[in-house]
Amino acid sequence: MDYKVLAERLVKKCLDKGADAAEVFIQTGRNLSIEVRNGEVETVEEAASHGAGFRVFQNGRLAFSHCNDFSESSLENAVKSAVRFTGNTTPDENNKLPDNKEITEVGPLFDPEINRVSLDRKITMAKEVENAAMRDQRITKSAGAVFSEGEGEIFLANSNGLSKSYKESACTLGVSVVAEKGEQKSSGGEYCSRRFFSDLKAIKEIAGKAAKDAYDMLDSQMVKTQKAAVIFDPDTARSILGGILAAVNGECVLQGASFLAQKMNKKIIADKITIIDDGTIPKGLGTAPFDGEGVPTQKRIIVDKGVLKEFMYNTIVASRAGVKSTGNASRRGFRSLPGIGAHSFYIAAGETPPEEIIKATHNGLLLKGVTGYGINPVNGNFSGGVSGFWIENGKVVFPVKGLTIAGTAEEMLIGIDMLGNDLDLNRSFTAPTIRIKEMQIGGE
Amino acid sequence: MNVKKYFGEDIPRRKFMQMSLKGGVAMAATPSLMMHLLSCKGKEKLGAALNLDPALMNKTIRKAMEKGGEFADVYFENRISRNILMEESKFKSAVFGISQGAGVRVISGDKTGFAYTDEISEEKLLKAAEVASYIAKGSKAIQPIDVKSESRPSFISVQVPLGEVADKKRLDVMQRANQAALDYDPRIKMASISYYDEVRGRTIANSEGLLLSDELPLMFFIVNTLGVGKNTRHMGRERLSKHMGFEMFAKYPPEDVARTCARESIAMLEAEDCPAGKMDIVMQNGWGGVLVHEAVGHPLEADNIAKEVGVFTGKLGQKVASEVFTMVDDGSLKNMRGTIDFDDEGTQMKRNVLIKEGVLQKYMTDILSAKQIDMERTGNGRRESFRYIPIPRMTNTFIEKGKDNPKDILASTKKGIYVQSLSGGSVNPTTGVFNFTCREAYLIENGKKTAPVKGATLIGNCLDIISNVDAVGDDLAFGPGICGKGQAAEVSAGQPTVRIRGINVGGSRARS
Repeated sequence: MDYKVLAERLVKKCLDKGADAAEVFIQTGRNLSIEVRNGEVETVEEAASHGAGFRVFQNGRLAFSHCNDFSESSLENAVKSAVRFTGNTTPDENNKLPDNKEITEVGPLFDPEINRVSLDRKITMAKEVENAAMRDQRITKSAGAVFSEGEGEIFLANSNGLSKSYKESACTLGVSVVAEKGEQKSSGGEYCSRRFFSDLKAIKEIAGKAAKDAYDMLDSQMVKTQKAAVIFDPDTARSILGGILAAVNGECVLQGASFLAQKMNKKIIADKITIIDDGTIPKGLGTAPFDGEGVPTQKRIIVDKGVLKEFMYNTIVASRAGVKSTGNASRRGFRSLPGIGAHSFYIAAGETPPEEIIKATHNGLLLKGVTGYGINPVNGNFSGGVSGFWIENGKVVFPVKGLTIAGTAEEMLIGIDMLGNDLDLNRSFTAPTIRIKEMQIGGE
Repeated sequence: MNVKKYFGEDIPRRKFMQMSLKGGVAMAATPSLMMHLLSCKGKEKLGAALNLDPALMNKTIRKAMEKGGEFADVYFENRISRNILMEESKFKSAVFGISQGAGVRVISGDKTGFAYTDEISEEKLLKAAEVASYIAKGSKAIQPIDVKSESRPSFISVQVPLGEVADKKRLDVMQRANQAALDYDPRIKMASISYYDEVRGRTIANSEGLLLSDELPLMFFIVNTLGVGKNTRHMGRERLSKHMGFEMFAKYPPEDVARTCARESIAMLEAEDCPAGKMDIVMQNGWGGVLVHEAVGHPLEADNIAKEVGVFTGKLGQKVASEVFTMVDDGSLKNMRGTIDFDDEGTQMKRNVLIKEGVLQKYMTDILSAKQIDMERTGNGRRESFRYIPIPRMTNTFIEKGKDNPKDILASTKKGIYVQSLSGGSVNPTTGVFNFTCREAYLIENGKKTAPVKGATLIGNCLDIISNVDAVGDDLAFGPGICGKGQAAEVSAGQPTVRIRGINVGGSRARS
């Protein structure tokens, strides 16, 4: 089936059925997932599927429908449902579609090799990563290893004459294990995802990290409730970045539901911190030639040396704010309306090796895991459960768990006083190691 | 309620793509099928509406078991959904979705093969069956039993079928909620009202000869309100969800949902810094039950027990909690959000007492884990859609009511935190370490609820907290939620007012 032609034809169908503007988003894909445990295949799952989303406008009213049956009658039915549903929404002059026909040159995102590798080899890889992670005698159980892959293609057409597509792939190899000692249990897992098969990390490296994360946390201790320095490992970057990302969402800003709403061009974080959203990193997991509604992607600086420079917009919200789309329309698949989201959102690297940051810490906490919602994007409050290592006189002395940390985003972000050089852009949501001078730690 | 810790890190892109395709409550459906679904709830004749021929099911199952294996099933699903969003007093978007598909599964020993198709045709079903059959290669073959249709009692009653409700009525309940929220207090600056309903039709056939069909209506109404004070903001949330028809709003007026939400937004504008460290907490009845859903419920799901990694592994019959603590999962409570006539593998719903007066009674199983740990099927095999393998999931999970008067529980707590509602939380089912974020909480000083405190995190180990529950009220209540475990499930969580001694609270100041 020529989906590009289909998408264009369906745009016309929307107009025929009464829409005055329309967009068709078609997604096709294939998935394979293999789970292995104790050296045996546990699950093999494979499927190909497709779906279409219809965003239609009538006199400024917006509605959407989606379907996964591409028979003519079902497609027509979905189009009619969307047009009929415009009767349920309020007209808004900002309800419009993008008209930029360009795409950003981002290089290949699709690896044909993934599909060529035999199923047996993929099973063997999952078995090997599990076997390697179990090799350390402190590791007593496997919670399973996985190899998974996906291929997908996106076709987007709208009534402003846009018709774009791209093809992408990704594969993941990972393992999760348990370390036990007496009554103690500790789990660790590591997953490596890449767009290209040959870029997957070595099996030994993935297995080693999973095992280490598990056994390192045995014999953990508690510390007293106190204020001390807190170091965020890159594994915990999400707990800081998630709240910032939600707070620079242009729609939340317009609604006053963001702690950063009034901070444009003001200092919000320590001078050494620059935050970037980049949709163009070669082979990046967050990379695409255009966003969820067809606007070309870019590399954009959100926070420049501590100063807030940008909010993120899709076309409709940008129109409301009187600015241009930043190429941040994000879609969770064909059944979702475009919202606002990031591509690769990260804190730019500093110059200090992470070991130096630990060495420079007299008394503090090195975080390996943070649970909870992170920074609350509405009011900037932060509270989380944490685990990691206690540091005394520049050295890791013992693992800790069951602690909490809390504060306000304002204090935390301004309080960042050290920035690592260990940025890994293979992740789409990441930061180097960072140290916050002092936070409230809850313990005994 | 993210659960699987191992997906808590960078979400692998494949997972992303898979989720975006899989998550699709998408569409398919001939107009005649649609009419049938829209006029739900029908007379359990969905199989007929789908033109599903039992002979085709037998053929699919036989194909799935051609290479071996001891069990196979095929699950057909269709779903019609409507989702309307009102924000800033405008109806911003309206989404209509229709989806249809089937999943085929084969179990051979501890192995599962699975494939699904969007298209329900003989060709595609047999292809899916062949893909699913791969894992059973070389194992002993069993002759499947031909399917025979049966019917079951329903725990879901409908007075006003969703298909008979004009869209205008949906907009009207949203408008009423929006107005009530804005009228509540001038400091409510915005309300967001999300209306969702769906009708999910299921047909399940398996190699044990089972053939079952039903239709489940679901309503989900969510209000968020933004309160703005001098130097702070608070986004409140209140949710209402039932497996029932549109009569839900006659029984539970939308204005009440909005006012409850607005009250929280305003109350929390006065919130102070929360103290940090170990404290006693009193949790108000209702959605606070999510704490046991996460902390105890997930670790009692039998998949992790079968893998022998779960924290409750090997503890059956042992005392794991204080004697005032009884915990139940019951998917047969009438019309509740976690209720389902039979689970997605066709097992009958019933009341399952998981922990009785502190002693562990049973785990929650699906067909595979029940076989692996040699336990009964408890009716907890659930799946987000035909695109997912069924796994053990909760339904309506709660702490059974006790004998204490809720007022006395508070009055007898000298110092601590009163948790009025929780946002949600997560657990590592291997270690039992959990966390929750408070949505609305207050200091307890000399047995009285005093100043509101900022959203603190509560953390601990499940085995510790259920041993430290020392008071259980007589005021059992429930709240609706979405549970995530690699796939979403609609659940209820409930509890009476309870007191837990010594939980670690993530506050931003030292205790005074």
